Amino acid sequence: MGRLLQQVLLFAAAALLRLILFLVFPSLPDFFTGRVEVSTPVTSFKRLQEGLFLYTRNVSPYDGGVFYQPPLLLTLFSFIPDSIFTTVTALLYIGLDLASAQALIEIADSKLSGHELFYKSPRRHSRWGSLAVAAAFLFNPLTVISCLGRPTSIFSNYAILLAISKAIQGKTGNAIIALSMAAYQSMYPAILLLPLLLLAHDVSTQGIIGTDTGFLVRHAALFFGAISALFGLSYLVTGSWEFFASTYGNQLLLVDLTPNIGLWWYFFIEMFDSFREFFLGVFWLHLLSYVGGLSVRLRTQPLFVTITMVGLIAVFIPYPSISNASIYLGLFPLYKHIFPLMRTTFIYTTALLYSIVLGPAFYYLWIYAGSGNANFFYAITLVWGLGFSLLIGDSIWATLRDEWEVTRPEMKDKPIRQI
Amino acid sequence: MGLLTSSLLALRRDRGLIEKLPSYVSIICVIIGVVWLLLLPLDEYSRKTYISENALLPGQVHTYFAGSEQKIFNAYKHEVANLTGQPHHAYEQCDVYVFMLIVSSVAPKLVEILRSSGLKVATQKYEYVVGDDVHQGENVYGIIHAPRGDATEAIVLVTAWKNMEEQLNQNGVALALTLARYFKRWSLWSKDIIFLISADSKAGPQAWIEAYHDCHSANVESLPLKSGALEGAIVVDNPLNHSFESIHITYDGINGQLPNLDLFNTAVSIASGQHGIPISLQQMWKSGDSYRERLSTTFRGMVSQGFGQSTGPHSSFIPYHVDAITLKTVGQGWQDDMALGRVVESLFRSLNNLMEHFHQSFFLYLLMHNNRFVSIGTYLPSAMAVAASFTIMALALWIASGRPPSDTSTASPAKLSEGRKMEVVSTGDAVAVVPQEDMRVLERELLLPVTSIVTLHILGIIPFYLFNHTNQQDLRYVFYIFLVVNSILPYLVASTTQSLAAPTLQHKLLLKSFSFLLLGMFLASLATVNFSLSLFIGLLSSPLLLVGIRPVSTTKTSWPRKMIENLVLQTLSPPVIIAALCWSAGVSVESALLEAAFGWHVWGVWTQVIVWGVWWPAWLAGAIGVSLQT
Repeated sequence: MGRLLQQVLLFAAAALLRLILFLVFPSLPDFFTGRVEVSTPVTSFKRLQEGLFLYTRNVSPYDGGVFYQPPLLLTLFSFIPDSIFTTVTALLYIGLDLASAQALIEIADSKLSGHELFYKSPRRHSRWGSLAVAAAFLFNPLTVISCLGRPTSIFSNYAILLAISKAIQGKTGNAIIALSMAAYQSMYPAILLLPLLLLAHDVSTQGIIGTDTGFLVRHAALFFGAISALFGLSYLVTGSWEFFASTYGNQLLLVDLTPNIGLWWYFFIEMFDSFREFFLGVFWLHLLSYVGGLSVRLRTQPLFVTITMVGLIAVFIPYPSISNASIYLGLFPLYKHIFPLMRTTFIYTTALLYSIVLGPAFYYLWIYAGSGNANFFYAITLVWGLGFSLLIGDSIWATLRDEWEVTRPEMKDKPIRQI
Repeated sequence: MGLLTSSLLALRRDRGLIEKLPSYVSIICVIIGVVWLLLLPLDEYSRKTYISENALLPGQVHTYFAGSEQKIFNAYKHEVANLTGQPHHAYEQCDVYVFMLIVSSVAPKLVEILRSSGLKVATQKYEYVVGDDVHQGENVYGIIHAPRGDATEAIVLVTAWKNMEEQLNQNGVALALTLARYFKRWSLWSKDIIFLISADSKAGPQAWIEAYHDCHSANVESLPLKSGALEGAIVVDNPLNHSFESIHITYDGINGQLPNLDLFNTAVSIASGQHGIPISLQQMWKSGDSYRERLSTTFRGMVSQGFGQSTGPHSSFIPYHVDAITLKTVGQGWQDDMALGRVVESLFRSLNNLMEHFHQSFFLYLLMHNNRFVSIGTYLPSAMAVAASFTIMALALWIASGRPPSDTSTASPAKLSEGRKMEVVSTGDAVAVVPQEDMRVLERELLLPVTSIVTLHILGIIPFYLFNHTNQQDLRYVFYIFLVVNSILPYLVASTTQSLAAPTLQHKLLLKSFSFLLLGMFLASLATVNFSLSLFIGLLSSPLLLVGIRPVSTTKTSWPRKMIENLVLQTLSPPVIIAALCWSAGVSVESALLEAAFGWHVWGVWTQVIVWGVWWPAWLAGAIGVSLQT
């Protein structure tokens, strides 16, 4: 069976699964749209429809504090006629999932994980096929649920994957434009700019001239240019700059405190107002601080840094959802060669699985049964955050160990000990 | 610490022990869970109930429902008796068709009576279709607007025309009508009072509460008249034509959710404290306070909670966060209907005092007597210990799956020195010598076990669908066919897998590991929502922990052991257990399944989802694991 045929079959199976779920259980998409684990204030499909309703009736969608998403999404969705809105959006989201999988296949095909320009892992030959990676992404329940819940973060997920795959193929310009779209839509992907630039730099210069600062500056400028153009376009569409405060202002200042699976909402509900600005700064700085450290320490593996940042984003941004987790879990199998080096796999896998099951149970106890309270759900989001950060931390540890074995080949497979 | 580490490291050598230890630990966990439960009724572990919300002030007011109200009650009793068409006759013989005719003529009359008492009255027709069964009827309800309130809160008095046992609730309805007239005259109400007379006890209250919250389907009419948020509901069920002895309080809601303990306590305190009427629970008619009786009450409560079915009209209210209980009169004694009326009056006066929704007291508790309970903090560890036993076993099997197979089943010191490469492991100042092969971790092939586990869980949809969408007359055959197919299914799957995929020992270990992991996880989560169901399923699945152990050693399982294992598995399969439960309860499998299907379609009871989506896949995985030859 040819590889192309296999891929077609895989995509057809993934699309069929989603179509069946959309068609056979018509209440399922709306159910997932309403779940806090899937929809956050800044990505909710329901809020998008609300904004769309206002927008198509020439009322500013940003009045009233319901809609926090950028205007060009509205323009995109307003092209869809009302009569076939559900069908078209379902197909659109299925298409986005498949396109993301295609980008993932391209990333995997490059075999760059574990074999980057300046770094060759001794275990790089242990890897899964590109189709297996794509299948793990497409059939991950979190991805499927995200697709059904139709949060707009699927768009930025696709843009991020596209940016990485273009950067790996040496099409730096395209990569930067894709990233700027992702950043325009949900702001946090801007954090990926530095590792992505380093990745693109390594691929396109092939290490001939060391670190080319000019390359980095040029493409950073391109990023800002592209995103400014998108802002300009948004201004033309809505006729005012008020979308800035609603979209990026809300993400930066955490105006909407609707519960989600992240670590921010509860903290800022409990916060005294006088400390709010300070801790907003601390929380954002915390997330940003990883970029510099990781980029410097793992300078030889920018792809790994990019992927790890995607994972950290899934835990530490103000409005994370399971779709943020699904993209990291999709990229993570690329690093199959470090799996044997990871130490506590079972523990954090179990923690993550437990929180996936306990989260909805505790949310139910809090909101519907009334026999629990907000602490129940927050405790589980903490476990989720803990499990995820343990996973990321362990993967970084395994990478460092892998790197160490390049310099100390005699220590391969030996238990680590303090020396 | 150093000593501990080195002895732990040395333990790795002893394969016999390390293979058996986790199953011992997990069995001990199960035993701890059961013993824990048995300790609960002791005075040291249970607590006396107390009123937590001071605003309730139970039994602090004088009740005036007596004297001339008695005459009015008798008059309404005659009115109701006339409505039934068969005064002073047992209603049970009357067939459904005649009943429908009567009900259709009942509603207008009840409307008229309530309206003449000065209430705002409305009706609601509903129809539920389950399989080919149609449940329909018409609810009548009236609202007294609070003279001192603003229509933002309401309390409900429910009387069903027929109670759960299909008896006519003649005196209950008459009492509700009298109380409606009586309450209307008082000016002290600060909450609206809704009088709901539902056509039956199962579908009627559900239709009404759904429509009250606008969650109803197309076959249920919307309510033309509404009030504020419901703060509580009291159901009066008085089918007796003579004076009664005691009041039986039913409190379990759908899916094992319970009303706030304060509501129950208020009712107990008013009935037994203020009015001297004995209280019984969980069909323990002669309720003493000995250890046995407490244990028995707890167990009955847990069974009822575990099934999650409705136990009275109040059950439908609880999922909507409306705390509700049913008061049912039982026995032959000297308490008359007016006494019941006074209890209800006093209860409504207490509810009227509520400043905010019930929240002070416990929502998760087990009652063992009128005034004794255990709260979740005390009893939860027993279900958690049972759930943890599966997680421990999953962890052990995961570790075992990473061990390279060895031809030495037990390591003796003599063998250690023979030609096995040794490795020195030190932690701090502790040093241990460990065979090198024990330090290696095999790479695990996850694809086959993961896909099989996911498939098994998805397969659960098939029995679930079958039992909820089959017509009544076919249900029995479908069940027995499923029973037979289910008993041979593990062997079929095992032999097919054997010929197709050639599973290794590691695959088998991982399959069991993941199955236990998921089971432990689901049970732990379920224990927070429906403790009893989680515990029962955990206990019924616990033999899975024992079958097919000794994972790594190459010694073949002896055939008597294998026989016993298969026998145990077959006896504990979900369909066999269901059949056994029905047999012991003396109901036909068909009616039990029909009731469960009704529960799923009308009440939204999840028990079947848990049985077919959690228990059955775990059982199947365990049974396949035993039949797999590796």
